[in-house]
Amino acid sequence: MTMLESLLVVLPELILTLGATDLLLVAAFSNKPDLGRRVSIYAVLMLIACGLALLGPAGNGGAVFGGLYYADAFSTFSKVLIYASAAIAILMAPRFFDRRGEMRPEYPILILLSALGMGFMVSSGDLMMLYIGLEMQSLAAYVLASFMRQDTRSAEAGLKYFVLGALASGILLYGVSLIYGFTGTTSYQGIGAAMASGLSMGELFGLVFVLAGLAFKISAVPFHMWTPDVYEGAPTPVTAFFATAPKIAAVALAIRVMFDALAPATDAWQQIVIFVALASIALGAVAAIGQSNVKRLLAYSSINNIGFALIGIAAGTQAGVAATLSYMAIYVVMTLGSFLCVLQMRDAQGRPVEDIASLAGLSKSQPALAAAFAIFMFSLAGIPPLLGFWGKFLVFDAAVAAGLFPLAVIGIALSVIGAYYYLRIIKTIYFDDAAAPYAPANSVVENGLIAVTAATVSPLGYLLVPFLALTAGNAAQALF
Amino acid sequence: MTEFFQSLGMSFEWAWGVATIAGILLIALPLMLAVAMIIYADRKIWAAIALRKGPNVVGPFGLLQSFADGLKVFLQETIIPSAANRGLFLIAPIITFTVALIAWAVIPFGEDMVLANINVGLLYVLAASSLGVYGIVIAGWASNSKYPFYSALRGAAQMVSYEVSIGFVLLSVVMFAGSFNMQTIITAQQGHVFGFINGFAFNPLLFPMAVVFFISALAETARAPFDLTEAESELVAGYQTEYSSMSFALYWLGEYANVILMCALNAVLFWGGWLPPVDWAPLYVVPGIFWLFLKILIFFFIFSWVKATVPRYRYDQLMRLGWKVFLPLSLFWVVLVSGYLMLTRYGGVL
Amino acid sequence: MGARNRREPCRRCALPLSRSRFLQGSQDNVIQAFAFYLFATIVIASGALTIVSRNPVHSVLWLILAFFNAAGLMLLIGAEFIAMLLVIVYVGAVAVLFLFVVMMLDIDFAELRAGFTRYLPFGLLIAVVLLCEMIFAVGVWNFADIGPDTRMGTIDPDMPNIEAIGRALYDRYLLVFEGAGIVLLVAMVGAIVLTHRERGGVRPQNISKQIKRRPEDATRNTQPEVGKGVEL
Repeated sequence: MTMLESLLVVLPELILTLGATDLLLVAAFSNKPDLGRRVSIYAVLMLIACGLALLGPAGNGGAVFGGLYYADAFSTFSKVLIYASAAIAILMAPRFFDRRGEMRPEYPILILLSALGMGFMVSSGDLMMLYIGLEMQSLAAYVLASFMRQDTRSAEAGLKYFVLGALASGILLYGVSLIYGFTGTTSYQGIGAAMASGLSMGELFGLVFVLAGLAFKISAVPFHMWTPDVYEGAPTPVTAFFATAPKIAAVALAIRVMFDALAPATDAWQQIVIFVALASIALGAVAAIGQSNVKRLLAYSSINNIGFALIGIAAGTQAGVAATLSYMAIYVVMTLGSFLCVLQMRDAQGRPVEDIASLAGLSKSQPALAAAFAIFMFSLAGIPPLLGFWGKFLVFDAAVAAGLFPLAVIGIALSVIGAYYYLRIIKTIYFDDAAAPYAPANSVVENGLIAVTAATVSPLGYLLVPFLALTAGNAAQALF
Repeated sequence: MTEFFQSLGMSFEWAWGVATIAGILLIALPLMLAVAMIIYADRKIWAAIALRKGPNVVGPFGLLQSFADGLKVFLQETIIPSAANRGLFLIAPIITFTVALIAWAVIPFGEDMVLANINVGLLYVLAASSLGVYGIVIAGWASNSKYPFYSALRGAAQMVSYEVSIGFVLLSVVMFAGSFNMQTIITAQQGHVFGFINGFAFNPLLFPMAVVFFISALAETARAPFDLTEAESELVAGYQTEYSSMSFALYWLGEYANVILMCALNAVLFWGGWLPPVDWAPLYVVPGIFWLFLKILIFFFIFSWVKATVPRYRYDQLMRLGWKVFLPLSLFWVVLVSGYLMLTRYGGVL
Repeated sequence: MGARNRREPCRRCALPLSRSRFLQGSQDNVIQAFAFYLFATIVIASGALTIVSRNPVHSVLWLILAFFNAAGLMLLIGAEFIAMLLVIVYVGAVAVLFLFVVMMLDIDFAELRAGFTRYLPFGLLIAVVLLCEMIFAVGVWNFADIGPDTRMGTIDPDMPNIEAIGRALYDRYLLVFEGAGIVLLVAMVGAIVLTHRERGGVRPQNISKQIKRRPEDATRNTQPEVGKGVEL
């Protein structure tokens, strides 16, 4: 394969790299007013261009650069979700930051660079690519978490995220070095081939450490401690970004590592994944109950949801992977919608409010927003007519098909517990005594996005199910 | 030389060892002599430009002035300030002096005249010159006195800054030569321009880098106009303030050995080293070492000339020149040169 | 393009290292063994002194000595390029900046040590766990399967190791290498985003303006009449 063909396969990454560096130059040398918004628009256009590039060889070019990089249906599926969530995270930011004059052009640029790292992650075919992608994504994320540097909570979130993230990277690297030492290669294929002849103790250790590092990145129990604090402290658009794009990338990366490199060791990692999945669901459900801050609550919700997504992986089958991918797609839409609603929670002066109690009376003051909020909460809880139910159904179906009855039963039981706190929000919105009303939600872009996501999550979304099943199925197929 | 000693009946190891030690002495001793003479030359040139006479008392035309100075410092008492960190205070000038000498190991004086013909020769020189900063930093800290300390901070920042652009300049030379080996770099310059001019500097693509390298070499050796580490109007004598006697002389010797080294590097990297200026057979009759010395002397003259005529830079100007001018320029030049070579020598892009 | 075209013409191949000349003719490697034990001892000793030194500046200096001797060890195994990079990058730049910072810091050691004893049990616990794991890992190490010859690509003995590293970095691992560059860019952008602030009321030096200034712009010759001043 010539260099030019290889470059065409990594076209989305090229667009992002060149685009982000160009925008950096623009940000450094331009002195036009409202630079943040201008750069944001270009950044979104670039993400769209990346999405379009996936239609070409970047979507199905196969392995390039000597197997470092895979462009297959799996990476394409994940990248579409990643780019879409990154674009929405950029779109929802300007108004939030504007109030404090913090809409700096670096925000969209860092999101682009983070998306670049995630592209590396989901396309990786080698442990080195994995690490570089992960680190690129994480570094950008640390900075984004403390993007409002005047705000102590934001700075604290960034610091916590950085310290714990660095620790997780260290754990991951330790595992990587063990796996490299014992198999003699860093390429997934090579590792798979080396492990096929039996799993040595060193490889097992490496596997555990790598999974621990990845579990941190998807904030699965017991490596979830950072999540509530970081989600609460980070600016809301950044939190929305954290809850979506990096989660997809890390889950996709975990799937690739487990089914590409560690496939011969399925028995070994399956137990770990089952434990992590159940623990995440349980903790996410129970710990969320006491929360009064809506962002913290959504943080526990994301821990809980990751647990469900992991059930599909735990099944260890192609159907399981397809279910996880579908689940993640639906999760992204629900989460983005929820955060867009949270973004509308502003008091009369326009200050962001995060208290759940302040939602009381929303059904009277802003019925449309209240309805959207309710739809997202019902969907996150997995109440049947909404799309969230379909995702949960898919993963449990895959688990049952793989013979993991106890897992499915416990998971369903825990999801009932989890439903409680989502319903509590709806109760606050519709039945509690009215609190001070919010400022009117008048941003066309944000209202439009809420309408689109709400429509997708509503029963109308079932029209998308065949398409979702097809693409997720193809994506899963690419790994087997 | 090893073969010669082997022919005297030594075993290989012994012959190798003796040959190496002999080689080291053959470089180090004449170098010390050269330093003494070059200090004299420096003072004379400087004086001439300032319309003064310069040293003219000791020996004919003052030729023995440096030796008289050397004898004087040798007989002086070494004073160690009571608050100084004794061990480090004494070790710092030794570091400067040693480091100034070790880089000479890879400088080729002629076709076969090189002590260590290693294939990372240029990197070795860069490594050795990057160690030079320790002599200054440790001296400044160990003196436990404020002017030396300021000087040490200045020196550290200055040398690290200019090493960056020197590195990139060297890269463009290395790309043209295709090797880090000093001999290969020199032979690659044979007939480099129009097939008969020896020297990379005559190539329009490399001449700007030759200029950048020369200026960076001034900064790297902390010579005027970049001698902020010993700016006497602000810092007394900089990091040398507390030094006296032989420890002071070691700095003096090391500094000039470094200056000659930088002149030699200019000659080797851009002006053909021991090759004659033009690739014309009769010129090769003259031994290569003569051409190298000639080039070193020319560069030394320019060093002195600059010292005598250019006023000292302000510190922010110095930093600006290093980071905002030379670094981007040399970085861009690396891209330019590699693009050019890719197109012309390695057959196209992609 | 094809990797073959990029290959250097052979006459440009670097000359062999003096070390190999040394190895050819000798039947014993006494000097090599001596150098190894010398370097290794100094690395370990200065590493230990880095930790136990009371003065932070001494610690850094010992660390530099350790780096330097580690470079010597690299030379002994024939990795001269790595050795030189170690000296240039770590000794020549990183450690200088490190020293620079440590010299200017006012470090209160009593305070540091207080924290040290407080977290000592926890630190020891983690150290013991990691040690056990390492012993465990070494215990099950299977030497036969993973000899160096089975894990690495075949090495061309004539290829100098700069070229070998270059090939690995720019051919095989090009994408990772570029990615690492972007990681550094992200780190730089991050540092600037978090710390840079526009300060008002500063008059920055405009150096090109300063240099362009000529005597004519700043001075003028006048011939004032006796008893009359100059009109400014």
